Amino acid sequence: MTAALPALSVLFAVFATAVPWGLPADATFIMPLVVVMMVFCWRAIPDTVFPPYLAMLLGLLTDIMSGGPLGFWALMTLIAATVGGRVAPLTDGQDSNRLWLVWAAVAGVVASFGWLLASLYFLRWIDWWPIAFGALTSIVLFPVVLRGLVWIRRGRLRPGPTLYGRWS
Amino acid sequence: MRADHSPFKPRPRRSWRAPGELLNFTLYFLCAVLLVLSRIGHGAVADARDHFVDLTAPLLEAASVPVIMGRHTLARVRSYVGMVSEIDRLKAENDELKQWEWRAKLLERNVAHLRSLLNAVDEPALHFTTGSVIADARGPFVRSALINLGRDNGVRIGYAVINGDGLVGRTVDAGASVARVLLLNDLNSRIPVLVGAAGMRAIASGDNSAELKLDFMPDGASPYAGDEVYTSGSDGVLPRGLRVGVVTGSAGAFKVRTHAELSSLDVVSVLFFDTPALASTDPPAVPVAGPLSPVPEDSKAPAPVPTASIEPLPADSAIKQVGAADGVSPGEGMAQTQQ
Repeated sequence: MTAALPALSVLFAVFATAVPWGLPADATFIMPLVVVMMVFCWRAIPDTVFPPYLAMLLGLLTDIMSGGPLGFWALMTLIAATVGGRVAPLTDGQDSNRLWLVWAAVAGVVASFGWLLASLYFLRWIDWWPIAFGALTSIVLFPVVLRGLVWIRRGRLRPGPTLYGRWS
Repeated sequence: MRADHSPFKPRPRRSWRAPGELLNFTLYFLCAVLLVLSRIGHGAVADARDHFVDLTAPLLEAASVPVIMGRHTLARVRSYVGMVSEIDRLKAENDELKQWEWRAKLLERNVAHLRSLLNAVDEPALHFTTGSVIADARGPFVRSALINLGRDNGVRIGYAVINGDGLVGRTVDAGASVARVLLLNDLNSRIPVLVGAAGMRAIASGDNSAELKLDFMPDGASPYAGDEVYTSGSDGVLPRGLRVGVVTGSAGAFKVRTHAELSSLDVVSVLFFDTPALASTDPPAVPVAGPLSPVPEDSKAPAPVPTASIEPLPADSAIKQVGAADGVSPGEGMAQTQQ
């Protein structure tokens, strides 16, 4: 599998972050974190090509679209890509719960680090609630997004005892 | 045993000089460099970003159309659901507004009479152009929006942006066909305002939440909840008298609830209010000598618009229209920006 399909799916999500959804102020962190989550998932799904530099470029695009500091979301996607690349490939006996758990930890780290970085960037404590809310929402949305990416990966969802069935 | 349960791949120890590790390190370093350049506001970075946003603007504009339509549909469904109670509320509001109309006409006559006694000079007209929000650039740091108006439409950095309810923000970046609007509730937004009928001076600052903070109020000043907040114009950038919001909160933590719903903006207008301060930060391509608020080159005959007696801004067809408002005095400006 080439990197085109994963990259296009994440690119779609990046553009979706910039579209005027009319979300309330507390929910502004959700969409960019979905982008980070997709990068993590693509890196964790076996037999998928998604190099870290591509993840960084897409993060940079998110920065440009959002008008925030250049490099912030690039850094977050890079962290997700690094961790995602090191997560053991899921097989039949290991369902999505393990990956979900890892994402929960990554989301916590990304949210905390992002909050600290943002506070350092602006030299003041920024409001932590939107970031925490975004991280929590991304954890809740994780199975849905992962299922969607698996569908993109294989073209369909196979019924089976586990979420994924066999990868190959 | 431990390796069996670890969710991470057992990885051979590799030198940091291995190509993959080196690439990763380089990417992290690049991100750090970009953050520093962005922080210091390097001109090349800002220009590159503007250029890129300009290029992607048509794509964003196309992508935002179905979303905006969906939002409108949802709003329409909601209004149908609560139609009966809404009609009752509007009837009550209409009765109240009739009384206000009578009072406003009385005050208008008084003001006109006093102005004639004082030989007051009319303030210059405020020209404006109207466009729509094409991207919702909001994240942990920024509350901004991209609009489909740029330098080609006469927009420059620092112009005030309003919608039908009041002040929305000001332009901070302007490309050829798009501009970025820093919303009032952004962390970096600071606006000098006047509070209440007494006109207490203060600074309304954004903190990325839905409401603005009121800072630097005079000692002992104590506004009341519901007091109107409007721009003072003392920054030399924004016109005086633009409606911002109303005071909420209690002593020690006064806030401003903006009239404009900043989380769901559709159609906005950019006011061409040129001041010396603005000319020094973003000089026009062709220096303009003369009064404030010149008509941009691409503007044709000014269409009548934001006065209280004229039709509100059209929602669909008003995109990229250019018009002119009558003089904005402190009181009149508020009425004008209500449109």
